[in-house]
Amino acid sequence: MPHVLKTMALIDIISPNAVLPSLKVNGKKQALQEVASQAARLLKLDDREIFEALLQRERLGSTGIGDGIAIPHGKLAHVDRLFGLMARLERPIDFEALDGQPVDIIFLLLAPETAGADHLKALARIARLLREPGLVDSIRATRDASALYALITQSAVSHPA
Amino acid sequence: MNTIVFVNSLLFGGAGLVAIGILSSLMASRFGAPLLLVFLLIGMAAGEAGPGGILFDDYRMMFLIGSVALAIILFDGGLRTRLASVRGGAVPAVLLATVGVIITAGLTGLVAMPLLNLNWLEGLLTGAIVASTDAAAVFFLMRARGLQLKRRVNATIEVESATNDPVAVFLVVLLVTLIGAKGHAGLDAEIADIPLHLMRQCLIGGGLGVGGGLAITWLINRVTLPAGLHPLFVISLAVMIYGLAGILDGSGFIAVYLAGLVVGNRPVRGFASILSFHDAATWLCQIIMFLVLGLLVSPGKLMEHALPALAVAAFLMLIGRPVAVWLCLTPFRFSRPEKAFVSWVGLRGAVSIFLAAIPQLTQVPHAELYFNVAFFVVLVSLLVQGWSVAFVARHTGVALADPAPEISRVEIDLPGKVDLEMVGYPLLADSPVIQRGTLPTWARAVLIVRNDAVLTPEEAGVLSVGDYGYFLVPPDRIRRLDRLFAAFEGHRSRALSAVFTFSPDVKFADLAGAYGVEPDENLDSLTLGALFADTFEEGVREGDRLDIGNITLIARSVRDGVVTAIALIVGDTAEDAPLAQSHIVAPALARARTAVQRTANRIAAVLHRRGSGRAP
Repeated sequence: MPHVLKTMALIDIISPNAVLPSLKVNGKKQALQEVASQAARLLKLDDREIFEALLQRERLGSTGIGDGIAIPHGKLAHVDRLFGLMARLERPIDFEALDGQPVDIIFLLLAPETAGADHLKALARIARLLREPGLVDSIRATRDASALYALITQSAVSHPA
Repeated sequence: MNTIVFVNSLLFGGAGLVAIGILSSLMASRFGAPLLLVFLLIGMAAGEAGPGGILFDDYRMMFLIGSVALAIILFDGGLRTRLASVRGGAVPAVLLATVGVIITAGLTGLVAMPLLNLNWLEGLLTGAIVASTDAAAVFFLMRARGLQLKRRVNATIEVESATNDPVAVFLVVLLVTLIGAKGHAGLDAEIADIPLHLMRQCLIGGGLGVGGGLAITWLINRVTLPAGLHPLFVISLAVMIYGLAGILDGSGFIAVYLAGLVVGNRPVRGFASILSFHDAATWLCQIIMFLVLGLLVSPGKLMEHALPALAVAAFLMLIGRPVAVWLCLTPFRFSRPEKAFVSWVGLRGAVSIFLAAIPQLTQVPHAELYFNVAFFVVLVSLLVQGWSVAFVARHTGVALADPAPEISRVEIDLPGKVDLEMVGYPLLADSPVIQRGTLPTWARAVLIVRNDAVLTPEEAGVLSVGDYGYFLVPPDRIRRLDRLFAAFEGHRSRALSAVFTFSPDVKFADLAGAYGVEPDENLDSLTLGALFADTFEEGVREGDRLDIGNITLIARSVRDGVVTAIALIVGDTAEDAPLAQSHIVAPALARARTAVQRTANRIAAVLHRRGSGRAP
């Protein structure tokens, strides 16, 4: 059920195995490569294609939205649904974010080429989730994948009102 | 005594037909039927074969009525054409209006020859009669269905329909002359004269049009007439220009259209009242043209040629016009759906009927045949194309899915003032003017209506939602003010959910590609910085926002009026927007409207007293 975001919770776009509790990377490029290859493994797609899409979007402007959070995203021809993946970084890295803060939480979103408004809605949902008071602190303090998954999917804003 | 009775019954009958037509338009618009079709049918019902039984076959009268009506319709077309809005559409449109018409006429003529058993000149005449597009009907339908077209497609259709009539008229007159001269020794000389003659028509028509337009502007701004006479004065001058051009062997159609264009694009006193008068006059002209056509047609003779005429109509719609459109528009990088749409809106109307009367007047052979064929083509075009135009616009993607919100602007004439106009707007939540809290420097607040009280700008202080404001603005900036008072639909959410930042150098096309925004030729080549600079010409301010398709861009940081960082905002508005908001705004608006009406009356009264120079 790819395009029915009106009734969608984050639980529909992110699966328990798409949570990386302690990713070790040294920079933005490596971070993007890592999340791209994890996504490629789960989606059974070419990781280069995903990485290129993310990189292309970063060229327009960083997806670091401030406060140590980045939401890299892109549209792909071969993805048939919205796909989310979250990574908690061991060490914060520079992500060229506007506020200059190093990033340690990455939420990846991939969308089908035809997603249109759903792509934007999903981005908004993710951003609102990560702005929820206290949630980011809890994420930073958690190293367990299933606990992280529970945090992001059971939060009030991850479900439709 | 008999004459008086005749005149009175003529008036009763004629006006009655118009009134019935207008009333039945209410019913027609419910079914989405093209209005002009209704007038045509009523004319037929009143005619010799219908219950009305009126015998009318005066083609001279038809030609006279048609000339005046077309002159007024074309002048009106010029008045409403904003030179700024046709940019990008003018060249393809003019090509379509000239070469396109000739191609359409030629192809249709070739098909008409065997179908109607005509020689080549007569075939071409048939083609020429039905070759020109009448977009008045198209635009009416668009407006009635709330459709807005992509800017370039809209400009192309608008300019084409206004400028193609002279070419068709020229072709018809030429062919009628050639057919009439056939067998005479002068034929070769006539043909040799064609290019010279055409140039002469265009030059004299063009010169008279521009000169006449300037003269009209000068006269209205100079001469003080009692209110109400301005529009009438303008219309009579327009018809004069048309007639004079004809006398001097120039194209009256080019002249009158250009005159309208000049008047419509210069500051003119009382322009609002001129426009609203012309709105009514144009309607009356269209109605009368179609009523008269309905009266003229004799269905008995019509059926003789029904099948070949239908075949001509089908060929014109499905092959003739599309081929011309494809040949003319392909060099200009129109997309295939856009070309398909332009092909389909080639509605035939008043002009074809008018042109079909010319052979009747000059007594060339088969004159009746041309008229009957024109009738069928117009009928089929109105029925098939007229009815489906909105559907086709949506399915070819030419209609804007998310049209700009209608602006409820009130215009008030300021007698004696040509460089400023008074306009009133309701202040809507989420409009840029509310977000900024200030007006541009060139707009001056005159009075503010708040909670049924009329306040001076000083008393009112900061404008707030639910107010109704009146402003003095230079006429050429009204459109820009419209944008500042328009509410941004669908972005009521205050919570800025996702914010990504871009540099002003990023191309809009790249952003649109990343977020699935409909591509738009007018915007795609621009950078985001240029987009902001274009929209907020008096300098960008922090927080200025642009709504394009489903994304919202905000000027995040600004230096010296130039945007240096742009934020893309994504809010899941479907769930965020409190539904109650629209309920809060609505009664306030209704209140404001009644207050506005009262205030407008008061202002008009004050201005009237001042205008007549007597203090109360």
